[in-house]
Amino acid sequence: MNSLVLRPVIRRTGLLRDLPKAFAPQFAPFTSLSRPPPNYEGHVPLTVPERGLLAVGSAVISLLNPRRGDLIAALGEATATPYFIYRLRDAMLSSPTGRRILKDRPRINSTTMSMEKLRKLPDGTVGREYVAWLDKEGVSPDTRSQVRYIDDPECAYVMQRYRECHDFYHALTGLPIIVEGEVALKAFEFANTLIPMTGLSMFALARLRAEERRRALTMYFPWAIRNGLQAKEVINIYWEEELETDVEELRKRIGLEKPPDLRKIRAELKAQKKAEKTVRESVEH
Amino acid sequence: MKPIWRLRPRTAIPHLRNSAQSQFTALRYSPVPRTYTTTNVLENLYDVVIVGGGPAGLSLATSLRSSSVTSRLRVALIEGLDLDVGRKWKPSGESYSNRVSSLTPGSVGFLTDIGAWKHVQRNRVQAYHGMQVWDGVSGSRIEFNWDVKNSSTIAYMTENVNLVHGLLSRLEELGGAQLIDKTRVEGISFGEDHGTLDLRTWPVVQITGGRKLAARLLVGADGANSPVRTFAGIESRGWDYGRHGVVATVKTEDMPSVERTAYQRFLPTGPIALLPLPENFATLVWSTTPEIAAQLKKLSPTDFVAMVNSAFRLSHVDIAYMAKMDGGISQEYQWRQSVTPIDSAGVPSTVLEVQEKSIASFPLKMRHADSYISERMALVGDAAHTVHPLAGQGLNQGIGDVQSLIRTLETAVQTGKDIGSTLSLESYYSDQYFKNNLMIGVVDKLHKLYGTAFPPVVAVRSLGLRAVNAMEGLKSMIMKQAAGER
Repeated sequence: MNSLVLRPVIRRTGLLRDLPKAFAPQFAPFTSLSRPPPNYEGHVPLTVPERGLLAVGSAVISLLNPRRGDLIAALGEATATPYFIYRLRDAMLSSPTGRRILKDRPRINSTTMSMEKLRKLPDGTVGREYVAWLDKEGVSPDTRSQVRYIDDPECAYVMQRYRECHDFYHALTGLPIIVEGEVALKAFEFANTLIPMTGLSMFALARLRAEERRRALTMYFPWAIRNGLQAKEVINIYWEEELETDVEELRKRIGLEKPPDLRKIRAELKAQKKAEKTVRESVEH
Repeated sequence: MKPIWRLRPRTAIPHLRNSAQSQFTALRYSPVPRTYTTTNVLENLYDVVIVGGGPAGLSLATSLRSSSVTSRLRVALIEGLDLDVGRKWKPSGESYSNRVSSLTPGSVGFLTDIGAWKHVQRNRVQAYHGMQVWDGVSGSRIEFNWDVKNSSTIAYMTENVNLVHGLLSRLEELGGAQLIDKTRVEGISFGEDHGTLDLRTWPVVQITGGRKLAARLLVGADGANSPVRTFAGIESRGWDYGRHGVVATVKTEDMPSVERTAYQRFLPTGPIALLPLPENFATLVWSTTPEIAAQLKKLSPTDFVAMVNSAFRLSHVDIAYMAKMDGGISQEYQWRQSVTPIDSAGVPSTVLEVQEKSIASFPLKMRHADSYISERMALVGDAAHTVHPLAGQGLNQGIGDVQSLIRTLETAVQTGKDIGSTLSLESYYSDQYFKNNLMIGVVDKLHKLYGTAFPPVVAVRSLGLRAVNAMEGLKSMIMKQAAGER
């Protein structure tokens, strides 16, 4: 009965013939042998299956070895489309400052930012804090890799910008570059930017010690989620123009609370343990 | 239950003093000039009184006069504005009216049948054969194109004034219909019993100057706030969309003159459409929020043009942002179009200028009357229904009503029935109501479906649109339906 009604409809509308044609080209518009030319310098166009493979592969290896920053970056790019990177770009397009950033497309590296000048800024300013972080952690703004797997040039820039601003987020929140601090910051970034990679980074919780994990879940996650959602989009901060701004003032302007000082907590705990140990040792003797 | 004999006076058909022949007598038009101050009731008896001299009312009058069956009916048409504006319309080739309608081949076929289309200035009518409709958030699109060998027309873009001019010229050629313009309807009431002439069920229209016209059938073609509908006690239901339609006549870059295409993009605030007019003119219909509509009307011509070009090319986020800018929109557009990937085959030619004083706006509504008929009354066109303009069906629905009503009246006359009785009018209502209701409903749902940028909804509707676009069979069915094939 059903087929009596449906069959002529299917035949007349060409459902079976035409439908696969509608979706196949989008899924894999080319093969690895006929890759189209890049949309921007360094761009590598990928098909959907390739992108999926890249995402899975980079996720597994970077979980095993969190020091593979290149793979974390690749994971970020492979999972940012569809939707998420466009959403972030649209968030920038809705803000006057965000639009200015997209128009100027400023890059952060050691040639565009003079570290010497930053070191001369007064204490408590964004620039000074930033350079203090770089010095303390022994990293340089040039360690950020180039975006390659995002097709739209403007969205690729947004990803690049997010990546280059990451150190400023450390300066803004005061979270250190150790796995624990990184996980807390990533949770904040996920709530604020919705980039899937930052959410996937939560798997790194598995690598923490039980005590650290408890601290992350009870102390830092509530802070990260609350602040990530209530604060303005941090991607819309024109850092180059805020170098001389007071960090406290900038936090207030975007509606961000300072998280508990992780270094201090860890140092205190360490001192406490050491004290306990000495007490224990003295008792034993 | 009322006894059957009680029904007789209710269906009262006036018996004229000399009506010895059939029960139904057409009130013959007398070419002898009358003085309107006369108190003679017979002078002011009409078979059909049409209130409203817009395209719907005029096409009804024209078709009544042109049909061999109904041409003996006495017809009057009352219009509040000056019909000379349409009658003495002198178009200039350098400008086009901003009130343009798209007429389907079905509507044009009817206008040809009643002899009005040959009076329409064809060099100011633009047919188009292709249509591109796309999602302003995801970019998924549907393309309608009749292939070259079967180059059927999707629709004819016609200035309303051109159509009105054509209808008036045809009416003049036919003669016989009494056009009473610059006259307002002061009130409508039922007639009195004149002894030999019982007009108690006949609507009597009182017009400026005190003259009273009694109608065997009163037709309301008097627009969305129809006084006839109010008198008939027919409720009209629906809602306001909270959107305004901004219209303008624009000039674009040179377009290929043979194949013309209509473009429509669904933005979350409402659809924007650019429809072709002759040469490189085009008419713009942009449904948007009242705030953006007000802002658009304030812009300088350069910025307005940039805004229109943006609306077809840039992301909906850009458009929402730029719609709030007070100036510098054209620079902003230059920057954004340089970084936005644009498929130039899928967007209309760049708009270069906007015709002076052609930007206007009106609120968008959805209304549908509960019924189109009651005893001795019928509603056509906007008086019966108002639809969102996204499918360009408003006027076509009105012409569809006229087409159906005239068929109904012809049958009534041929079978000797009273043209004003609900019994004769019933088939008009049953023909048109459900057809119009379907169209209004589909258009309303489309407006709602595309009125959001919520990602899951966008994903589903984009998949659906892409699937429909791939199915040539289904598409040609839709196109035949939209063309109003008879």
